[in-house]
Amino acid sequence: MKYWIFGCLLFAASLQAETFQQNAQYCLVCHGSKAQGNAAISAPNLAILPDWYLTAQLRAFQSDWRGHQTTDAYSKEMMAVAKSMSPEEIKRAIGFITSFQVSKAVETLDGNISHGKALFQTCAACHGASAEGNKSLGAPPLAGQYSWYLLRQLQAYRSGQRGNAEQDSKGALMKQIASSLNSEQDLNDIVAYINTLALPSTSVKN
Amino acid sequence: MTTPENKPISAQGLSRREALLWIGKAAGSAAMLQAATLFGVLAAPAAAQAELVKLKPLTTGRKTVLILGAGISGLVAAYELGKAGYQCKILEASHRAGGRNFTIRHGDFIDELGNPQFCHFDKDPDLYFNAGPARIPAHHTAILHYCREFGVEMQLFCNHNKNCYTQDDKAFGGKAVRIREYEADTRGFFSELMAKSIQSQAKLDAPFDEIDRQKLIEFCRAYGDLSSDFTYEGSERAGYQSGGILSPGVLKTPRALADLLQSDFWAGAMHFGELSDQSAALMTPVGGMDKIVDAFLSRLPGKVQLKAQVQKVQLLPQGVEVSYWLDGQLQAEQADYCLNCIPAQLMAGIENNFPADYVGVMRQLQRGKLSKIALQAKERFWEKDQIYSGISWTSQDITQIWYPSHGMFKAKGILLGAYSWDPAISDRFSAMTNQQRIATAIAQGSKLHPDYAKYIEQGNSICWQRMNHMLGCGAVWSEELLKTSFATLQAPVGGHYMVGDQVSYHPGWQEGAVRSAWHAMESIQQQELQKQRQVAV
Repeated sequence: MKYWIFGCLLFAASLQAETFQQNAQYCLVCHGSKAQGNAAISAPNLAILPDWYLTAQLRAFQSDWRGHQTTDAYSKEMMAVAKSMSPEEIKRAIGFITSFQVSKAVETLDGNISHGKALFQTCAACHGASAEGNKSLGAPPLAGQYSWYLLRQLQAYRSGQRGNAEQDSKGALMKQIASSLNSEQDLNDIVAYINTLALPSTSVKN
Repeated sequence: MTTPENKPISAQGLSRREALLWIGKAAGSAAMLQAATLFGVLAAPAAAQAELVKLKPLTTGRKTVLILGAGISGLVAAYELGKAGYQCKILEASHRAGGRNFTIRHGDFIDELGNPQFCHFDKDPDLYFNAGPARIPAHHTAILHYCREFGVEMQLFCNHNKNCYTQDDKAFGGKAVRIREYEADTRGFFSELMAKSIQSQAKLDAPFDEIDRQKLIEFCRAYGDLSSDFTYEGSERAGYQSGGILSPGVLKTPRALADLLQSDFWAGAMHFGELSDQSAALMTPVGGMDKIVDAFLSRLPGKVQLKAQVQKVQLLPQGVEVSYWLDGQLQAEQADYCLNCIPAQLMAGIENNFPADYVGVMRQLQRGKLSKIALQAKERFWEKDQIYSGISWTSQDITQIWYPSHGMFKAKGILLGAYSWDPAISDRFSAMTNQQRIATAIAQGSKLHPDYAKYIEQGNSICWQRMNHMLGCGAVWSEELLKTSFATLQAPVGGHYMVGDQVSYHPGWQEGAVRSAWHAMESIQQQELQKQRQVAV
């Protein structure tokens, strides 16, 4: 009798494990088969992002720094996914995602590129002259990211929906800078300029 | 009087477009599309609709077909093509076959991104809910063809029951009212208004003569159950206040028209059943909609590979190559044809070498947002309230409550405690945990059934826009996109076909899925016949 119960328990446990998708390809459902993002469902490009930034953002989603105080349904979707992930799953997912070759989102955005370039000098202090990112400052690469995503994030920082959590010092800094921009047009011009930049080299990513 | 957006209705009445918006709110995009066709806003699809698909046996040698997705369109394709002699294989990304045809019972896993759930309903064949399609109209002859062919046992599904409630926070202090009462009074008042205005005119404008005038007045009397002087004084149709069997029935006092108009119940509860897809009497398989999936699967042994997630679709000079993840390994397979029912919005993110305009259409299809919440009740309290099956309506986010069309007088039952197709509402539900969704459904349902909370034991929820490997319910086509791009997505690119309800004028219905698959298979047959002719020449 005891063995029978034990057998059933084992079977139940394996059934549960079986139905969950343990593997990291989970991420690709939304973020595209090469983690390049998918504009059709508003999923950003992950392939351009380094492991330290992906880790930090998953932590931000898990700690209610991101996706919590927002009207952005897409952030809320990612927050729910992040919260359902164990530390081990996060590690595996990031290992998997960073193994993909970086590819650039192909799109164009209308805007005043030279004006955007001038404004970008403030951004360059942290994100680098080519928007390649800076690990020591925790500033992610921006080059190669979708324009709609960058715009949405700038708007979220400006409105205080992102960068508002007390412990999120890097987010707070970004919020301050985004708030100093004068208009939607400024945001648009900056993003239009970033859009012209080449992909960061893989050496930066790693 | 105002529209749901609180815009005043113009003196000229509703424009066609406004009417469509209301129908869309009440019955979803498929209904809107259908109504739009009726109103002549859209041109009806030109494609001829075959009575039944009839594939001739394959005579051009061994032909292989890769089918991406084991939803209804994929299963239909594998079954029909297999019968005709094609070698078929279905790659399905999730842990189960059926796609949105998903009946949830004890032990089932609901793979919602970030909100995975197991179903803990009691283990009982009557305790289930159809999370996706739940009802089949009689004119959906293609899906019904398979039910008949496979001997799937069917039962009636009651889609409109006047004993159910309509509840609107704006009317009658938010108190729920029986649909029959609301409907009888509203029709009574409108008929009275109409009858009296016809009577007040000496004669009607030509071509109506005196006989027509009399007939019209009589119609009004019958339509509204008016008294001999064409006044509405209440009706048995609203249900008696008391008596009616052993003592004379006492009519209820009619509600004031001004009060009735506070609510827009007529946009939903009253006219919903007028839509051809939403008739009062629909059908559903006994024991759950997935009996259809089971019937297909039993005829397709070894043809479905689960947990195979497509990574890449490459068009070759001849045929198609598909790469996919299986057990953490990348596999690749080639075939002469590929029938692809991956949701277009996800296919847009999967590596491919499709023509730009083709993949461009996929990028523009919007995710359908639709949510359902099912609740297990320890007692069938609605039966004591004289409700056996049907749908109650409310202005709250839960929108509808469905009472099961089966299992009368059994101990327990599964209610559909919320069904919303409004994207904004669905966003609100999807941002909640399952527990929060259940709590919300109970709180809102309590306005229709005061002791609701007492009876609900547990529940499960589904937000289709968040389901793994789907990220959406029926694809949302804008009118403009349909006009410019439907044909592009429907047409093959070499041996590659996009299929599924998404490639139909009827997204969100199994009929769209079946007919889309039929359409693609007939095209494959044409391609084969053409090759045969070329060889002959």
